[in-house]
Parts: sequence; C-alpha cells; structure tokens
Amino acid sequence: MTEILGTPPEQFITSVREALGRKAGPPERPYARMLEERASVAERERAMQERLSANRRGNVDELARVAALRGWVVHRAAGVEDAVGYVCRLTEQLEARRVVRSVQEVFKDVPMDDALSSLGATVQVMARGEESSGIFDPADADLGVTGVDYAIAETGTAVILPRRGVSRVTSLLPPVHVALVKPSQTLEGLDDLYLLRRLAYLRDGADAGSYMNFITGPSRTADIEQTLVIGAHGPRETHMVILDWGL
Amino acid sequence: MAEVKTQEFRRASAKVLANAKLQSYLGRSMGTFDGARAEAIEEISRQRWDELRQEAREIKRHTLDNLDYYLGLLRERVTANGGHVHFARDAEEARAIVGQISKSRGLKLAIKSKSMVSEEMGLNPFLEKMGVEPVETDLGEYIIQLAEETPFHIIAPAMHKSKEEVSELFEEKINRPNLEDIEAMAGAAREVLREKLVSADMGITGANFLVAETGTVTLITNEGNGRFCTSVPRVLVSITGMEKVVPSMEDLAIFLRLLPRAATGQRISSYVTHVYGPKRPEDEDGPEEYHLIIVDNGRSRLLADPDLREALFCIRCGACLNTCPVYRKVGGHSYGWVYPGPIGAVVSPVLVGLDRSKDLPNASSLCGACKDVCPIKINIPHMLLKLRSNLSEGSELNASKASIGDRVQAGVYRRLMSSPRLLGLTRRLGLLAQWPFSRGRFIRKMPLPPFSRWTRTRDMPALAPKSFRQIWSERLEDEGR
Repeated sequence: MTEILGTPPEQFITSVREALGRKAGPPERPYARMLEERASVAERERAMQERLSANRRGNVDELARVAALRGWVVHRAAGVEDAVGYVCRLTEQLEARRVVRSVQEVFKDVPMDDALSSLGATVQVMARGEESSGIFDPADADLGVTGVDYAIAETGTAVILPRRGVSRVTSLLPPVHVALVKPSQTLEGLDDLYLLRRLAYLRDGADAGSYMNFITGPSRTADIEQTLVIGAHGPRETHMVILDWGL
Repeated sequence: MAEVKTQEFRRASAKVLANAKLQSYLGRSMGTFDGARAEAIEEISRQRWDELRQEAREIKRHTLDNLDYYLGLLRERVTANGGHVHFARDAEEARAIVGQISKSRGLKLAIKSKSMVSEEMGLNPFLEKMGVEPVETDLGEYIIQLAEETPFHIIAPAMHKSKEEVSELFEEKINRPNLEDIEAMAGAAREVLREKLVSADMGITGANFLVAETGTVTLITNEGNGRFCTSVPRVLVSITGMEKVVPSMEDLAIFLRLLPRAATGQRISSYVTHVYGPKRPEDEDGPEEYHLIIVDNGRSRLLADPDLREALFCIRCGACLNTCPVYRKVGGHSYGWVYPGPIGAVVSPVLVGLDRSKDLPNASSLCGACKDVCPIKINIPHMLLKLRSNLSEGSELNASKASIGDRVQAGVYRRLMSSPRLLGLTRRLGLLAQWPFSRGRFIRKMPLPPFSRWTRTRDMPALAPKSFRQIWSERLEDEGR
C-alpha cells in the first residue's frame, strides 16, 4: 500500500504547472530520446552489440589501461590457474583469514574456494541459503571477491547489479575488493551501459533490479585540507582481475 | 528552515577578510580545485567539453520547462518500483514527513549521506528533538556536525578547517587524542562511523539526479558512505529538490562526464549508486522501505521567472565557488545560508527572500568567470543583474524598492549619461572639485558620504585631465582629418 505524506501529489504537481504557466500533458516540444519506442531502443542496442563484438580486444585493452589510472590494481589473467593464483597470492600477502564472496556464474569458471581454504583462509559465501554462511560476521572479512555485470572501458568502472546471490556489501565491507571481469562483459562507454539498463527497464520494469553500483577504484576522501586519503568507508585496495581468455 | 543569516553578509565577510590565516589558505585550496578541473577538461578536449555542456543544458531546459510532467512520471515509476513518493511544499513540511516516517517505524539511528536539501531543512536538530540520532557520514559533513557549523563549500564542507583544528575537534568530541596526520584522522572517523554505518535503522541521502523514466535515484560519492546508507538500514529516505529530474537513464552518461570533472577534476567518482526503490524479495540485502521526498521550498519562484529558471539547472559541482574572486576572499559562511558563492547569490535570495539578502546579488564583480566554468553554462551574471534590478525597481520577490538616495543617484547617473553636453560640464566641475583631494591618479580620501564610504576601503581613480573625447578629437586633428 502506497503511503502519501505531505502535500497531495496532484496539488503539488499542479502548483508546479501553474508556476510554469503551461497546460497539462506531455511536453509540446518533444525530446527525441524520451519519446523513443522500445523497438527503436532495442534496435540501437543491437547495433551497439555489433560494434562491441567487432572491437572486443580494443575495449578490454582500454579497460585495463583506464582502470589502472583510476586506482585499480589490474591483472590480466591468462587462464584459470593464473586468476586463482593471483587471488591466492593476494590472500597470502594480506594474511587474509576471512574471505567473503558472492554467488555468481564467474565462480564456476574460476573456482577458488578450495585453493583459498588450503591456504588456511575461511571462505564465506554471502548469500542466503548457502551452507557456508554464518561462520563469521561479514563485517570482519579481510577480503571480498565478486564478479561484475559489466565493465566500462571509458571510465575504468566495474558495474555490479546486486540481486539474489550478490550482496550489496561484499564489495564494500572488506578493506580489499577483488572484481573478476570477463572480456565479454566489457562495454566501450557510459552510453552503452545506460542504453542496456534503459532497455532492461523498458522490458522488465521493476523486475530489472533494485540497485546498481559503479565502482571505480578504491574509496577515497580529500575532506581534510584537500589531502587525498585512500580508504575512507569502502575498500582501500581494489583489484581488477581480467579473465583474459576465450576471446 | 535552516537559520538565515544572509542579511549579515557585510559583517561576516569583513571578519573573514581580516583572518590572514584563512585568507592565505583559501587562495591556495581554491586554486587546487581550479587547476584539477582545467586539467580534466583538457584531457577530453575543450571542444568535447563544450558539446557536453550544451547537451546537458538542453536536457535541463527541456526537463524544467516540462517539470510537472516529469515529476508525474517519476512518481509513477518510483511507485511502480515499490517506493513511496512524498511532496513537500516547504522545509517544515519536508521535516514533518521525515518525522512521521521515523516515528511511526520507531527508528533511532539515522546515517546520512550528504544532502544539501537536508541542510535547507535544518533536519539534524529536528531529528535530535524527535529522539533520532542523526550521523553525518561524509567525512567533511561529519567534521562540520561535530563542530556544530554549517558547510563552508558545497562539495568540501570542512575545507576551512585546518588539520590542527580537526585534531582538536576529534579529541574533544570523539575522544581520539593526539592525531597528527590526516590519514590518522580519516582512519579515526572511519572507525567511529563504521559502527554506526552497520547498525543504523534509517538511511538518509540526497540525490544528484532523479531519472523519471526508470524511477531511479543516483548518488555520486567517493567515500563509500552513500553505499552504506543505501544498503544497510531497513528504511531509506532520499530527500531532494524537485529540479533534479532528468528524463531518461541515457541522459546520465552526459551528466556523469560533467559533474566529477567540474567538481574535483576527477574523471569519475569512486562510486555512482543507482537506487530503484526498496530491495526486491529475492535480494540479499537493501532497504525494506524506500521513501523519496521531493521538495519545493521556494524553487517554484525560480521556475516561474523565465530569467531565473536556469538557476535550477545547477548540478551543485561547486566550480563557480572555486573560481569566483569574491567567494575566494569571503568564503562560504559569509553568504549566510546553505548555498554560497555565485550560484548561492542567486538561489538564496529567492529561496529565503530578497528583502533579507540584499547584499548577495551585489557581492559580485560580474566578471563572468562563474558562467565560463559552469558545466551547464548557467548565466549567473545575468541573473545577478536581474535580481539587482528587482531590488531597485521592486518585484514580487521583495516588497520594498531601493532607498530614495540610491534612486536619486541612479536618476542623476541616467541623466548625465544620456547627454554628452551635460556630462562634459559635470566633468569640468568635477576636475575643480577633486583638486584638493587628488594625489596623482588617485583620490585616497574623500570627506563626505557617499564618497567617503567608497574611499574607506579603496582608492578612487581621479578624473583624468583630458577626457577620452578630447584625446580622440585631438588625434583626429593631428592626423589631418
């Protein structure tokens, strides 16, 4: 049941309309993007996908380059062993005892629980109904590992859509975050991402998801004397492992 | 509403001007912001930057010209996403809505991510009275909250505090003594706040953009506190001015390229968070309830005036503050209300009343630097002139006109400037009159008001022995024409 407090919506919107001195209804001078039909948005999306698949390699290279500039430690893994090995070495370096991860497809491609356990780390899956849950408080984790839904080359950004199996805080609570990126998830620019998400909403409405996070490098603040400090409330260290095979 | 001190501009700015330490510091740090912005713009090229600005401007104009329609669409979509949308005509009503939400759900601890509108509302003292503990979680806002002050700058609220002052504050207020370096201070705040961030039952945020078509609230942050506020508490409330709407998600790509570059010179901020209502049943976490409060609080007065409407295009990057020769000297608190600097000098008078903010539209040399750096190309100088004209001619925004003295002065000026003969005569009289006072090219001290008021703080250029017209006609004669 929708709750309404304050000024009744109709009354508020009418007073805005009166301030503008315009008649009720949609804009008289149309705004091209807004009036676009779903079919036309979908058509643009197809064209975008073609453009992306024609330049997959170039976009992954650009992602790796820009992500490093934005504060990610970027590793391009040549194979499964290399990728798992990277996370293991990081775990050792950090002397991480508690590792949290999400439930995502990518962990089937790059299974790492056993390797991490053999190093003496406890791996906890942050998802409801998972057997390993509840061993330690995720707030105490030393390392968080997640997949991503997209990565944006233009900005060096990992995009995560939290949902079943993907907590909002696996990439937020621990001081160190590792994001596993598949080359097929790479987009060229912000426009590509927003086109995809717009289309998803036009297709699925509220079912398209409740949340979307862009992560670009570590958490930071410069609020005291404009001096940059890395690691405010979020991770102080962020690693992007690009699963650089199968292209 | 937050306490209004706009009428004290002169006194407050005089105090800042006399503070030598703050003066040297202000110049330095404003320059840092300015330099970072310029560098980030160079990187994508000036031409691309101007194209983005123009595009953003057109989106803002279209949306605000049809704001009633887009507010209706936004409400429909946020509701479809499972959220509650409330409208507040003014600060008091907005506070009451937050009060009702927190009271009926028995909420006790509110973590806040930076929200300028909540500053407008004076929300924190109100929450305290309601028995809800408000905790600012952006480091700058947290420092300001501990110091019981208001933000000095839109995006760097505590920029006027030296690390020594922050150190003292942390010792006194959160029992963290002997912190010497900035990293340690940030670490202490992180520790103290982490406990609040993981245990709060209420999250309060502002909004950088509201996407009408998808019912999405977008937050741009660097620290990660915004992510906590939107992930952990069971009730999430976003409070925002009604001007923040954009039509479609695809518009965000343009604004995301503009805002971080203009604000801090970053290519993108660490986090961009998009909230589409409450958590869905299958989600692992997120708020059970989502409320969006859309606030007018005087904005429809800006909307109704075609000359002032574009003040609502502002995306709160702070670039006009950093570049303004006046802000760089008098700082943020002198402006006396939530929004300082050039954009504040337009917005504050309209939101709190022009009658009590007469000095703000005049606190500008109209040099135009603010317009040049604005990512939305807002014509701030034009709006300042419009407000000055409202001040002298009277308008709906202020009942009283300029004083008799000012109006007589303006009348005499108009008469002189429209008659070359009269102007020449006055000039010759002036040459005689200034003779006892002028030393070289300047008059350093004049005996009578209003002239003495002028020479109290600056020199007056003396009338030149020959006028431009004289020199000009002599040259023409020399050249034999």
